[in-house]
Amino acid sequence: MRKSEFRLESARSYNRASPVRWLVSHAARYSLLPLAVVVMQALDNFFYSFRQVLTGRAFDLLTGGSWELSALLSLALGTVGATVVAALADLLSAFAIETLAQRIERDTRDELYLSLLGKSQTFHGRQRIGDIMARATNDVRQVNLMFSPGLSLIVASFMAIVLPVALIGAVNWRLLLAPAIFVILWAITVADYNRRLKPVSEAQREQFGAMNAALAETVAGIEVVKTSAQERREHRRFARNARLFRDYSVQEGRIQARYLPMLVFVFTWAGGFLHALLLWRAGIVSPGDVVAFAGLMGALRFPTFISIFSFNLVQLGVAAARRILELINAETELDENEDGAARQIEGRVVFDNVSFAHGDRAVLHRVSFSAQPGETIAIVGQTGSGKSTLTQLINRIYDVDSGRVLVDGVDVRDWSLEALRSQVSTIEQDVFLFSRTLAENIAFGCGDASPEDVERAARQAQAHEFITGFPDGYETVVGERGVTLSGGERQRIAIARAFLTDPRILVLDDSTSAIDSETEDHIQRAMRRISQERTTFIITHRLSQIRWADRILVMRRGELVDQGTHEELMVRSPDYKRIFSRYDSGCRAGPASAAQDL
Amino acid sequence: MGFILDGLDSESYDRQYSDRELVRRIISYFRPHGGRMIVVAAAIMLSSAANSAGPILISMAIDAVQDQLETGAVLLLVGGVLLLGGLGWVLNYVHRALAAQVIGDTVLRLREDVFSATIGHDLSFYDEHPSGKIVSRVTSDTQDFSNVVTLVLDLVAQVLLVAILAVWLFAVDVGLTLLLVGMAPIAAFIALRFRRVARRVTQQAKRVRAKINAQIQESISGIAVAKSFRQEHSTYAAFDVDNRRSYRVGLRRGLTLNTIWPVMNLASGAGMAAMLYVSGLVTREGRLSPGDWYLFMQAVTFFWWPLLNVASFWSQFQDGLSAAERVFALIDAEPVVVQTASEGVSQLEGAISFQSVELAYTAGDEVLDDFSLEIAPRETVALVGHTGAGKSSVARLIGRLYEFQGGQLLIDGHDIRRLDLQQYRQHVGFVPQEPFLFSGTVADNIRYARPEADDEEVLRAAMQISEGDWLGDLPDGLETDVGERGGSISMGQRQLIALARVLLKDPAIFILDEATASVDPFTEAQIQQGLETVMRNRTAVVIAHRLSTVRHADRIIVMDHGRIIEEGTHESLLAQGGHYCQLYETYFRHQSLAYVESLGEQPTAQLDS
Repeated sequence: MRKSEFRLESARSYNRASPVRWLVSHAARYSLLPLAVVVMQALDNFFYSFRQVLTGRAFDLLTGGSWELSALLSLALGTVGATVVAALADLLSAFAIETLAQRIERDTRDELYLSLLGKSQTFHGRQRIGDIMARATNDVRQVNLMFSPGLSLIVASFMAIVLPVALIGAVNWRLLLAPAIFVILWAITVADYNRRLKPVSEAQREQFGAMNAALAETVAGIEVVKTSAQERREHRRFARNARLFRDYSVQEGRIQARYLPMLVFVFTWAGGFLHALLLWRAGIVSPGDVVAFAGLMGALRFPTFISIFSFNLVQLGVAAARRILELINAETELDENEDGAARQIEGRVVFDNVSFAHGDRAVLHRVSFSAQPGETIAIVGQTGSGKSTLTQLINRIYDVDSGRVLVDGVDVRDWSLEALRSQVSTIEQDVFLFSRTLAENIAFGCGDASPEDVERAARQAQAHEFITGFPDGYETVVGERGVTLSGGERQRIAIARAFLTDPRILVLDDSTSAIDSETEDHIQRAMRRISQERTTFIITHRLSQIRWADRILVMRRGELVDQGTHEELMVRSPDYKRIFSRYDSGCRAGPASAAQDL
Repeated sequence: MGFILDGLDSESYDRQYSDRELVRRIISYFRPHGGRMIVVAAAIMLSSAANSAGPILISMAIDAVQDQLETGAVLLLVGGVLLLGGLGWVLNYVHRALAAQVIGDTVLRLREDVFSATIGHDLSFYDEHPSGKIVSRVTSDTQDFSNVVTLVLDLVAQVLLVAILAVWLFAVDVGLTLLLVGMAPIAAFIALRFRRVARRVTQQAKRVRAKINAQIQESISGIAVAKSFRQEHSTYAAFDVDNRRSYRVGLRRGLTLNTIWPVMNLASGAGMAAMLYVSGLVTREGRLSPGDWYLFMQAVTFFWWPLLNVASFWSQFQDGLSAAERVFALIDAEPVVVQTASEGVSQLEGAISFQSVELAYTAGDEVLDDFSLEIAPRETVALVGHTGAGKSSVARLIGRLYEFQGGQLLIDGHDIRRLDLQQYRQHVGFVPQEPFLFSGTVADNIRYARPEADDEEVLRAAMQISEGDWLGDLPDGLETDVGERGGSISMGQRQLIALARVLLKDPAIFILDEATASVDPFTEAQIQQGLETVMRNRTAVVIAHRLSTVRHADRIIVMDHGRIIEEGTHESLLAQGGHYCQLYETYFRHQSLAYVESLGEQPTAQLDS
């Protein structure tokens, strides 16, 4: 059984060994539907083609000696009947495939979603949201399209060849000569056509994408294009792309124009007709048989146009299934370690010679430091210097490659994951809020929090003021009627949430910037307040956070280049000194002394 | 054609062309390919003739067989069918291959025209129109147009075939042919009715799909939060409801769309039965030969599909024409910034003089009102004010990115409207608030304004910023791939590249809309140093968001509602205690060291207030 943090009792299991088996196991759940598609398509094509046989009989009736009006009438009614049955079968088959396709879309989406809910935080901490989204939306849709119209077109085309040919055989087996030749040549030429067309069509599609992307870039950067006086260059670039697209289009048009299966059809049709005439002259078949044959051969014209489109859809569908399955099958490497340490955390964190790499890209190199319970540690460094990864080692989104991370003297790998994570909270750079009320967002996960608790937390987080500024106050639904919150406001909601859950170790990724001083005041107060009484790591761009942290870790390209208090670093580190140096001159002449309204 | 536009896609520059005008325009694009078009037309006509002759010959063959003709004659007829079939195929090849060429060339020219028109517009055009829509006019609308031309040619071929056959059949039997042709309105009626329903269910399905996708987006984004608070069940329940609804609506759409073919087949089958019976009677009376009877029977299917195509084609045709109309509208939209002369600009001192400039993006909504400002060469001027005060308008007028309605704007004493814009802009360096990078390497981007600069010059420009130590933070230095729109590197690094770009260009005038995005303090320090380097020895106009920038400016211009209300240095303005003081309190106070230091002084007890 695969490890999962969440499952439904009612969930079905599917064969996840390979994309094709997985798709089959999904379809097999509704085995009646695929069966219905095949049977109904067969019926549809049988009766559709059978009308040609009736036409042949009518010909015999009209030209032969035994004329009866009632016979003609019954043939006409027979045609109507065959048509009705064919149309009904067609309709049923279409309904069956459509139902199947939609159900499979629903089921795969459901399966994927459930599996995502079952994945660990570790998994979600690493996965890019855009990537998951692409699989949960486009790929799931692609699986639907693979069944309808992809597979249904293939079944229909197959039947549209097999049944007319079978009926020709039923009229007289000798007439099968031409259809047999047709089927063989048709298969060869269609395969050849698809082989030629595919690379060109793909290149054309890609070139369209490239042309679009380049143009979108030019338009988005129009200010730079114009002020750099580079319009001519952009024009050249666009013209080059458009010309290349034209070339592919012309090439594709030429390949499509040279559609050999159609020529094969024309020739075998004429040849078959001659053959039928000769058989008739030899007295083997009736004139009506010749007419029926001509009509049945003519019916092969439709599948002659079977397109590369349906085969492509199936290929795309399998590829989509593979991507979905990859995600479903992705294992979480960390174990829960349920027997590990599970007690109240005090908050001492020690990094002991820690190194970590993403794949072959080294992110952290021999990092060592320790934080005492209740300390506030600011982590500074450039984007990509390893600040976030460092904090992700504490709650085991990642595990170290070498060295140790200790919490209260115990290696994090020896803690029960549940106990560890419930006491280590993270406030991300982009705080995510659900489309629920602000109160629910704050109390998220604390089902028993009273409205008073929520308000107290919001006040402590400096959020009460702006929340009550909304007409609906705490009952304001995020995202509804244009209610959007700024980065700073979202951050304070998350801080309020943390006041309720009261973690022992808090990681605050704070890279937002306040446009105005008042907002800055609020954020400062909220962050200072939450960082008391717990060990806090703040990844920050704010000078004030850096200035007033108990200790500062300076990161550069994965290495901890310096650590210490502000005063120590001002003396020791030229890099550190430089970030404060631009404030050197004494601008204390503000009309309102800066601290006044705090 | 305008009535086809459903109003959703229309833009302010859209105009309605009369059908005649539209057709004339389209034809003018095909005119250069007149010779090839004639060949295409001939191929279409001949291939239609050849293809319609096939069934006719077969019917003759059937009659010939009935009349016990010689084998030779039968062979001849079948040979004729073969020959015509082959000929039809070849002619069809000529039609399609050549048409693909002509259409390709035509659309290429159309695309280039619409691109030139687009890039010729000033920034007000781009402000007004979402870039996605502009792009789709240049690429997708032209493509729709090209598809519709292909479609028209195909349809002409099909209709010609039907017409030739119809003429033949009329000659054989008028009554039966009328019966055949009478099916056309039925096909058209069914097709059009169906389209209406199909459109409705498709729109519903689209809406529901968008909803489920948004739902998934939200829950996946919030999944980590949901998990850490054990809210999987409620999240799943919400998803489940949407997923089921999406299934129901999707199924309804699928089922509806799938009824068209059975219904059409049913109708054509009924036609076939009617034809079988009626023409059977006529044949029996001896007024129709068996071969002709056969021809009429086959004609039912021959007629049905082209007629159906015509019916369903009409709306596509309309869509294609409105696509063309949209493209022409974009080509014909008048550019606002028009130069009245093209005086060369070889050297620039960098003196800028606004003299009673009036600017309004929409009539009556004045952005700059009687705005006058003299900026001396090599002066650094910081513009401050609330959003909407007109700061960026001032900066962008200097770049000649907008047209102004009144007054004068002089550069080194020359009217900006009379300058050769290409040359003038060589002397202006502009860094927008979010520096824009093109996909490529860091070096490519630094070189953007001067493509001819060699590697050494690029390196020198880069080294001038913060002594080049920022290059060490890029994984591959100057050769680092910046990714789409610079997405692979940090915001701060993008700003550094934008500054290096200006240094390489070495303009006399530097315009900066300072970024507000938060940057780590190390990169911020590099940017500060870089800025100082860039501003040295050139005229600089900065829309300031950083305290350090206003402090170092030679002059601060305080703007409000399109007017200058105060000016002076940081110190003098603060001492004055006016509007600048308020701005300082609102935007700059928290950036001061005094503020940073003051935070340490507050007792923690106060924090709970």
